[in-house]
Amino acid sequence: MVTTLLIILFVFLMLGFPMMIPLILAPLVIVLFFMPQVEPFLMVQQMLSGISEPILLAVPLFIFAADIMSMGKTSNRLLDFVGSFVGHLRGGYAITTAAACTLFGSISGSTQGTVVAIGTPMRQRLLKVGYKDSTAIALIINASDVALLVPPSIGMIIYGLISRTSVGDLFIAGIGPGLLIFSFFALYAYIHAYLYKIPLADKATWTERFQFTRKAIFPLMFPVIIIGGIYSGFFTPTEAAGISVLYALLLELVIYRSFSIKKVPSVALSTGLITSAVFILVAGGQAFAFTLGMAGIPGMIADTFLSGNPGPIEVLIIVSIFFFVGCMFVDPIVVILILTPILQPAAMQAGIDPVHLGVIITFQAALGSATPPFGVDIFTASAVFNRSYLDTIRGTPPFIVMMLIVCILLILFPEISLFLL
Amino acid sequence: MKLLKTLDYGLSKLEEFILSASILMITVMVAGNALSRNFFNNSWAFAEELSELSLYVATFMGIGYVARKGRHITMSAVIDNVPFALRKTLATIIPLITAIILFTLAYFSYEYVQSTSGRVTSALRIPYYWMNIWAPIGFVLGGIQFLRNFYVNVRNREVYLAEERKDYQSEEEVENQSST
Amino acid sequence: ACGGGETEESGSDSEDEGGSEGDNAEESEDEDTAEDTAEIEESYNWTFVTEENEGQMQYEYAEELADRLNEKSGGQITMDVFEFGQLGTEVDQVEQLQSGAVEFAIVSPGFTGTMVEEGQVFALQFLLPEDQEQVHELLNTSEALNEDLAALYEEEDILPLSFFTEGFMQWTGSSKITEPADFDGFTMRTQDSPLIQKTYEEYGADPSVMSAGDLYTALQNGTVDGQENPIFFIADSSYHEVQDYMTISNHNSYVAMTTVNPDFYNGLPENVQSLIDETVDEMRDVGFDMQDELNSSLLSDIEDNDDTPTEVTELSSEQREEFRELATPMRDFYRENAGDEAGAILDKLETEIEEITGE
Ligand code: NA
Ligand code: NA
Repeated sequence: MVTTLLIILFVFLMLGFPMMIPLILAPLVIVLFFMPQVEPFLMVQQMLSGISEPILLAVPLFIFAADIMSMGKTSNRLLDFVGSFVGHLRGGYAITTAAACTLFGSISGSTQGTVVAIGTPMRQRLLKVGYKDSTAIALIINASDVALLVPPSIGMIIYGLISRTSVGDLFIAGIGPGLLIFSFFALYAYIHAYLYKIPLADKATWTERFQFTRKAIFPLMFPVIIIGGIYSGFFTPTEAAGISVLYALLLELVIYRSFSIKKVPSVALSTGLITSAVFILVAGGQAFAFTLGMAGIPGMIADTFLSGNPGPIEVLIIVSIFFFVGCMFVDPIVVILILTPILQPAAMQAGIDPVHLGVIITFQAALGSATPPFGVDIFTASAVFNRSYLDTIRGTPPFIVMMLIVCILLILFPEISLFLL
Repeated sequence: MKLLKTLDYGLSKLEEFILSASILMITVMVAGNALSRNFFNNSWAFAEELSELSLYVATFMGIGYVARKGRHITMSAVIDNVPFALRKTLATIIPLITAIILFTLAYFSYEYVQSTSGRVTSALRIPYYWMNIWAPIGFVLGGIQFLRNFYVNVRNREVYLAEERKDYQSEEEVENQSST
Repeated sequence: ACGGGETEESGSDSEDEGGSEGDNAEESEDEDTAEDTAEIEESYNWTFVTEENEGQMQYEYAEELADRLNEKSGGQITMDVFEFGQLGTEVDQVEQLQSGAVEFAIVSPGFTGTMVEEGQVFALQFLLPEDQEQVHELLNTSEALNEDLAALYEEEDILPLSFFTEGFMQWTGSSKITEPADFDGFTMRTQDSPLIQKTYEEYGADPSVMSAGDLYTALQNGTVDGQENPIFFIADSSYHEVQDYMTISNHNSYVAMTTVNPDFYNGLPENVQSLIDETVDEMRDVGFDMQDELNSSLLSDIEDNDDTPTEVTELSSEQREEFRELATPMRDFYRENAGDEAGAILDKLETEIEEITGE
């Protein structure tokens, strides 16, 4: 039965079927042929159920906010602001990309939103100063993953939901790792620019810096409003996503007047498109998880890999490997949905802080979003930049190495995530 | 043929309207509830249910529209790197099989809708089919669209990722474009 | 799919079962019916879903029931007990029971109020007795519940074998709640049920629907001011860590049902059926003691927690009376809005409650 499940999953996936097909077909076949007592219509019940959690509403909302900002002037203002301070350094444009992605990640909550909002304008700038397209895309994809770690984060919201861990604590715990990844990427950008002799840009004057800062002040207020709003009890993390849409609209429609209100429905349409593409997978993931659950597979996995009371570091390594491999093939959100309930009990038994576990899992999801063969950010980039799959991933290996180093650091030093709590 | 084209145009506009409206509805409900609770001390009991409904609508009613635009998430590493003939064959067969599977799912969805008859929703107490009827409708629309993606590949020599989306750009094209 | 005819049949079949059940409850205390049970010939593997997790009442109850059945059947009956979440939401699980995908389920009427509207009777506050032993007695003996309400569930392919309490519901808050005025400007997180929400509006609160995923953080930051749950659930979800006050309001008892799929149950050999009945009956007292122990030990945990102190206050009978007065009109709301049988069931239940409490 497990073999059938996996064969269907991989064959249909590798042939290039839309992801939703293997994800839904595999459990459907299992139910039809191996579980006579389970009505096949329960697969549809599970699909609906998989997207019924109110906390998931944050996902389309954060994507909507990001779409509004990339449509308008917000992302360019952020880029100008960061660029005026670090653009002149060696690898400055790449550093600007990494910093802007981190900043935008703390606005939008969504890695895909970041790819669109920062990636689109920044890729042109990177190409102009002589970066190879593959390097530019790899940088954009990987730096965008930081969005999953810096608050607000869709991955953390979903982990918090399943593991019953405070989403607020998770948000705080993601800041350290997010900054650590940024530092690695910035260092890489510096070395890369030195090796490839990327020309230096002009240094901005303090007057220019002041002007760009002034122009970016409203976008920079985003994290303050989101995080401040959550911690002052004004709204929940889910509602924060709704408020960020309102704030983005306020900025673009009223303050910057970068487009008219008549354009809003078409921005909502592009959000709706991504929402449907992602949520049909979340829905299918639940049908998949249900079938695994009915077959008792989670228990078997836990017994096989986590028996004999492994210590915290061993458990975290096992968790990381499971998520890394899982995210190679399936959407990270779906992997979080499926694997968290399986692995969390053993992690708790080993005395791992649930918040730290959440950071490790979210980190793997972030890494997974950019890791071939399957990676939502790769697909998003491939779609947005209209480049084939292989062209999109050509430049990723150095970034994956850096991310793995960060992962080891996170496992060995939980303080990186927990020190702010 | 003309009638079909008009119908198709109408359908695509309707899909666009529904997708866009559901995202706006989610925004109004989630943000509105937060504001109303804080400023008027009055929570909207219907907010969660209507948002959930909108998310169902967006997810399922979007299947066809996303297929039309060729934006369903796909692992294309293999199909990108096989000889043209095989690539063309796959690009033709995949939408056909996908359509068949979606129609099957539409059938089971319809069964599920029937199995919940008599139920009402928790907040608004409206019949429950308002929540889940979108699954069968969405799967049918999705199936129809994939049939058309199949048809466009049968009719044309090139590879179409979807009816409205041709193949990708290459690296040289991109770098030439941006250097000009 | 379940045909309408089939449903009616199984409904009328099992109405008789429901009737004999109440009798069984009394018999089993005197004689050990296990002696009468013939050897179980086949081996069975059943699925048992619960709405709660390990360490919480429903899961522990289900595990215990499964263990006992396994032992009594000489190992022939094994049950896989599922924690909440793996198979979907509470309502999903009920649908799985109805369609026969799972055999056993613990079901709270609160989550099925959209299928069997009369089940919302358990959402009425200050209705059930104030004494937990009396609640126990009522749930074991009430005709209104075990026959009339149970029959309505059977029509929906849910066969209740017993009703049991998971303990009194309590309020927690960022401010102290002892009288209705304390609810002014107070945002109360409740389940998504018009009846419950209207009740809190009667008290003067702003009832707010919020998912469990958001609740801890929302209480911590003051996004909402309070919530209601049985003690074990409050403690297990750590809500007391982020709440300064807990009111022993006992404003309701959290009631759940042990249910089976009727087609599955009616298709079992008689000796297996009676083994199930007998074990479920045993579980009435065992379950009652479990919740009592769980709730009282976790209450002292909450009281003794000095890191995040929670002031625990018990409502006086005068204070309870104030709330009861505001909550009583909700009974009419229930009669009018909760299905055709609501009035009859509530009337009968009120009489039964009076008989037990002697008021
Ligand atoms: Na983020
Ligand atoms: Na991946």
